[in-house]
Amino acid sequence: MTNLKLSSKMHVMIIVSVLIIAIGLAMGLVFQFVMNGYFNYGVEYSSYNSVVVDYATVNFSDGDAVKEICDNEFKNAGVSYYTSSFGESGVGGEFVFKFSTGVDEAKIKTAVTAIQAKLDAGDAASYSNSAYFHAVETNLGGEKTLIYGVIAIASAVVFQFLYFAIRYKLTMAFAALLADVHNLAIFVSLLAITRVPVGATVFTFGVLTVIMTMIGCGFLFDRMRKNFKDEGFAKLDSFEQVDVSASQSVANIAAVSVGIAVAAVVLFVLLAISSMAIELIISPVVMALLCALASIYGTAFFTPAVYSRFKRIGDNFKATHSKKSAKNS
Amino acid sequence: MGKIKSAVITAILVAAIVVLTFFATVSYMVPGSNGVKRYNSFISNISLGADLSGEAVAVLYPDGVISAADYKLLTDDEDKLTEYEEKYAPYGSVYVEKDKITEYGEDAFKEMVENDAAVLTKRLGQKGYSRFSVSVQDDFTVKVAVPSNFSYAAYKKYDTTTRTRATSAIEQTLKFMFYSGELTLRNSNAGNPSADNILTPIADDITTYFKSITKYSMAGNYAVKLNLTKAGREIFKSITKKITDAAESDDDDKAIGFYVGDDQLLSLTVSGEIDSSSFFISIENGGEATAQDYAIVLNSVAHGEVLSLDYNTDDFDVVYASPSLGAYAPVFLACAMLVIILAAIIYSIIKYKKLGLVNAIMILIYSLAIIVALTVIGIQFTIAGAVTVSLGLLLLCCSNFALFEEVRKETKKGKTMQSAIKSAYKNLLTGILELHVILLVAAILLALVCVGEIASCGLIFLIATIISYVLYWFTRFMWYVTSSNAKDKFRFGGFTREEYIDD
Repeated sequence: MTNLKLSSKMHVMIIVSVLIIAIGLAMGLVFQFVMNGYFNYGVEYSSYNSVVVDYATVNFSDGDAVKEICDNEFKNAGVSYYTSSFGESGVGGEFVFKFSTGVDEAKIKTAVTAIQAKLDAGDAASYSNSAYFHAVETNLGGEKTLIYGVIAIASAVVFQFLYFAIRYKLTMAFAALLADVHNLAIFVSLLAITRVPVGATVFTFGVLTVIMTMIGCGFLFDRMRKNFKDEGFAKLDSFEQVDVSASQSVANIAAVSVGIAVAAVVLFVLLAISSMAIELIISPVVMALLCALASIYGTAFFTPAVYSRFKRIGDNFKATHSKKSAKNS
Repeated sequence: MGKIKSAVITAILVAAIVVLTFFATVSYMVPGSNGVKRYNSFISNISLGADLSGEAVAVLYPDGVISAADYKLLTDDEDKLTEYEEKYAPYGSVYVEKDKITEYGEDAFKEMVENDAAVLTKRLGQKGYSRFSVSVQDDFTVKVAVPSNFSYAAYKKYDTTTRTRATSAIEQTLKFMFYSGELTLRNSNAGNPSADNILTPIADDITTYFKSITKYSMAGNYAVKLNLTKAGREIFKSITKKITDAAESDDDDKAIGFYVGDDQLLSLTVSGEIDSSSFFISIENGGEATAQDYAIVLNSVAHGEVLSLDYNTDDFDVVYASPSLGAYAPVFLACAMLVIILAAIIYSIIKYKKLGLVNAIMILIYSLAIIVALTVIGIQFTIAGAVTVSLGLLLLCCSNFALFEEVRKETKKGKTMQSAIKSAYKNLLTGILELHVILLVAAILLALVCVGEIASCGLIFLIATIISYVLYWFTRFMWYVTSSNAKDKFRFGGFTREEYIDD
């Protein structure tokens, strides 16, 4: 395989990473003040308006007929909901339609009045058939998930650092630590730049980014260690050693990240067919792709480039140290 | 290995996989002496998260607040119309007693509801739900949504017993979480008769008595464990002595009642002075979930997290809503998982011929082991969990493919098949072990440190990593067994041996 010559392009990698992180940070901060959020928080984390429609089975044996009435009235009022759910109540059923707070409240209320009129029409008039508008302020327990998630990821990163420091070399451990932090930063910045709606699944993909980085670093440094057994490789310059190993492991790193991303995309695409609501799965699919992109770029390209410098510093330090020891003895 | 031995081992394994696959995936009706009953497969008994089986949603109204639908019903009687019009004022889709508004003030009332929602968020956060939400609806009511926790059989109402158990547990939990008022310890014999029989000095702050109150389980018995502070230990020593001294006959009250507001949650029977830093109160009715509910509410109120309003918990509706991804989300997820498994099997057979079949067997064993683990342990399965299972499958396949490629490399050096396999396993021994160890520790950290969905994913990944490593070694055994009959062992795996021309 042709060597990637990543070591000589460290400056380019750093510039690219810094640019992505800086743009993400800038956009996030601007949106924090302009649009009330560093990220584009998804519907799970934002307040919403809802229309709750209850009906009695004695009046409407078929829930689909009620749903059709609601859909028509929402269409007539010129509003559309982002999700709906159905549940059985004591006397019949209940539909809940959720609207983002940006949708005109007055129009929703007009639709509610029209739905109520349709429910009351003819023989169907009953107290069990009702349509009401509700304003809902969400107060999710997301902070706890976030805090514990960050603690777990940080602990895993520290464990990986210690493990690599003992099993491989200190320089490799530092490179792996940098890779974890860098890839997470890139993932978070890409989320801020692309304005993908951030929901509960963001934690899962954050964790996946770190896991993919750990696996990728394992491939890279294991390849380095194996190559050192070859005398010809040991004689190479440290930059060339890193380039050769990086070229050999890039396919494995990409395969893991792409494999996970493809599995996630397949899952979510099939679920989109189930829900017939593409907008609900766009966010996790894009997040899976961003997660794979951050992992591949960070682990296969950025990390070897930076590690080559770490290695050179380590090698120089070792050489100087051994010269001094030889002089003293 | 002999041909017969090889054929027998392969046949036994395949038969075991077929039988297990049948019981794991097929539900059917079983006729018996007590009528026809349904056998629910392992897969249909897996507990599903909110994104797959929907949520249980309840709206709770504080005292003095009623829904617009209830108001409409009450005011249908024209005699009462004037009375209710004078009593209630409309606020969006709810009606609030004018007296309450005068008593608290509109903004203060809204703030109290908001604070209560924050307390409820903390309480429900300790339940370990994969996902939940607490919202303030129409400024004056609290809306709670928790995962319905149904298995597929319960979700589709094939298994009504499990469904009823799940719905009862949810309704009980919601009732407990909405207990309002402060914690008091009472005894009708030794307590202060002019202050609801409260045992502790009125000037004392009861929140300084408890370090924590937790659920405790041992050998199928459940209890609430109360860990006391130094001040708490002293006060319990004093009040238990007081109760013991005050009881003159067997009919006297010898229990400490743990009250939240005016409702008694637990009762501790005192047979002597308690001088200990912790003690247990056993839960006689109800299982682990009940013990957890008691512990959460008591811990919350013992640390001053009190609901300031009384909520109507005697008569509230819980609606079991369909998942946001549609009613067929679990079926489509199962199809998606099947597509991933089939893709992995087809790829391995195309690339590694008969050896790919060995990998296919490992993939099937992995899938069955995961299904059994999810059913037995009762981990809540969500879409994120499905991604985690796929990650484990990828780990297994990558480990085996790396092994097969290493064997290919070794065969190109001119080695025999047996020698190539031995060398390949030796070469990859540390690499594969390290990969699994790193991921295992990451999974343990996620499972232990995180909460909710991520913790479930951590536990699933922990199991997946262990299965993957065990199957990595089992592949060697099955490779040896299945290739025994093959005349050309290189062709078995789609390998070619490098022929050296002897000079």
